[in-house]
Amino acid sequence: MSYFSLILKNPFRNKTRTSLAIIGIAIGIATIVALGLITGGLKASTETTLKEGGAEITVLQNNSGQFMNGRIDKDRVSEIKEIDGVKDTAGIVRAQVEVPGVDFPFPITGIEVEKLILANVDQVNGTRFSNGSDNEIIIGKTASQTLNKGIGDTVVLFGKDFKITGIFETGSFIQDAGAYMSLDTLQNLTSREGEVSMIYVKINEDANITQVSQSIEDAYPNELTTTTAMAQASRINTGLSAIDTATWAISLLAIIIGGIGVINTMIMSVYERTREIGVLKAVGWKGRRILGMILGEAIVLTLIAGIVGSIMGIIAVEVLLSISPTTSFIEPVFSLDIFIRAFGIAFLVGIIGGLYPAYRASKLAPTEALRYE
Amino acid sequence: MNNENIIEIKNLKKSYDHGKIKALNGIDLNIRKGEFVSIMGPSGSGKSTLLNMIGALDKADEGYIKVAGIDLIKTGDLSEFRSKEIGFVFQLHNLIPNLTVLENVQIPMYEGSYSNKEMDERAKELLKSVGLLEKIDQKPTKLSGGERQRVAIARALVNKPSIILADEPTGSLDSKTGDVILGILRDLHKKENVTLVMVTHESYVAEMAERKIKVRDGKIA
Repeated sequence: MSYFSLILKNPFRNKTRTSLAIIGIAIGIATIVALGLITGGLKASTETTLKEGGAEITVLQNNSGQFMNGRIDKDRVSEIKEIDGVKDTAGIVRAQVEVPGVDFPFPITGIEVEKLILANVDQVNGTRFSNGSDNEIIIGKTASQTLNKGIGDTVVLFGKDFKITGIFETGSFIQDAGAYMSLDTLQNLTSREGEVSMIYVKINEDANITQVSQSIEDAYPNELTTTTAMAQASRINTGLSAIDTATWAISLLAIIIGGIGVINTMIMSVYERTREIGVLKAVGWKGRRILGMILGEAIVLTLIAGIVGSIMGIIAVEVLLSISPTTSFIEPVFSLDIFIRAFGIAFLVGIIGGLYPAYRASKLAPTEALRYE
Repeated sequence: MNNENIIEIKNLKKSYDHGKIKALNGIDLNIRKGEFVSIMGPSGSGKSTLLNMIGALDKADEGYIKVAGIDLIKTGDLSEFRSKEIGFVFQLHNLIPNLTVLENVQIPMYEGSYSNKEMDERAKELLKSVGLLEKIDQKPTKLSGGERQRVAIARALVNKPSIILADEPTGSLDSKTGDVILGILRDLHKKENVTLVMVTHESYVAEMAERKIKVRDGKIA
């Protein structure tokens, strides 16, 4: 048997203690992995809101509170288009409807079909709806999974049958969980003829977002306000970086708690094996070989915890996302980075936790160790 | 046996507990290469301390001790010396419970540059010589006291040491099993021409040796 096999074998001498230590560290690792998967998913989604082609500015009714409830005169859509630096505008209506079998309000956006690009909807499988059509709809990829419906299927909205003509994917979890239909149709269905909830504004390439935003607000003081995709993204990013900081704080906590757990486990193990360590010294093992063995055992323990923790983290995220309707549209992003971090931390915990017990074992006086009862 | 001394000890002193307990109080002893020596003495006489000094498990306070050409007081790290020159047999076999018989015998070989195949071959050869070849895959807990001590003897011999140090090797065995163990040790001593130093407090065990040494109050009596 090789020295390496001996190191692999030793931690399992006391299975209960080793398992408990592994679970303790694995919980910390699972938390890190789970948070990493979710923030990764949110980040990827945020980045797509900054995609080229999409509108840079969103015009909202001043003090409307929510995006959904804005009431803007539809004439503003064409008026804003005339402002310096504006390339294109799109008026949109937003609504949420109850859909049988879906336990959260289903978001629907009304938009003129040629303006879909301003909403970042550029890839559509199947065909787009036609303007003015009162029975055609395109739905996002996530929505198609939630509704369990595909192209050609029918979905009942506002008590009417709508045929799914296409399925789109933008990468934004909010958009992909919803649907788009003709602007006129949604205005009729929600009794908002002549008005829109908000306006998307695409600016010229050489125009300055801040300047154009200011011009729009100046043209309609107290009536309209603007927000930029960048500002939205940076708001989300601020939130995400807070989660990131929390992840690091949890990582640090996991290192400390895990480290103490490993120290405790390994000290107990060394303590119980005092006489055996005396024998190893008597048969000529060098101090550094004993140190390597104990340290190796601690690392074996934490790396197993790394594997167990990663699996636990993935399962936790999948379960959480599948049972909670509000989060079901978040797609966890499995990046190598998360697992490198998890295993890096596991390794570090092994080194930190194993070093002191290993040092103590290597410094045991052989005669005293052999006398130990 | 030849006339060359493998163990040379002069005025060796060792005390514990800040000098309160004088374990060795000026030992003078020479042991020739290939000799079988028994060390006798009452409990606390210093016989085990003397054995530990010879095996470099402990360092003396004063005096001179040279074993297999190595000055044990002046040399710093003695793990290599223990690995190459010394084979220990303890009263309690001190086997590692989660390892098989074969793996236990291989433990001292990690410090040498052996391949896995060489480790297997050497350990099996020794287990065969102590009559345990059929039990190589068993854990020590499944063995009888005598069998465990035979494994410990195989372990002591695995690195081909020049000296076997046995501390009450039959102390925890019944007399019949003890005789078997003593027989194995005596045969190995004869066949391999290995120097055998055995601590015992039983005179009939001591009688088997070529030379009997008595230790009393930390001195050779």
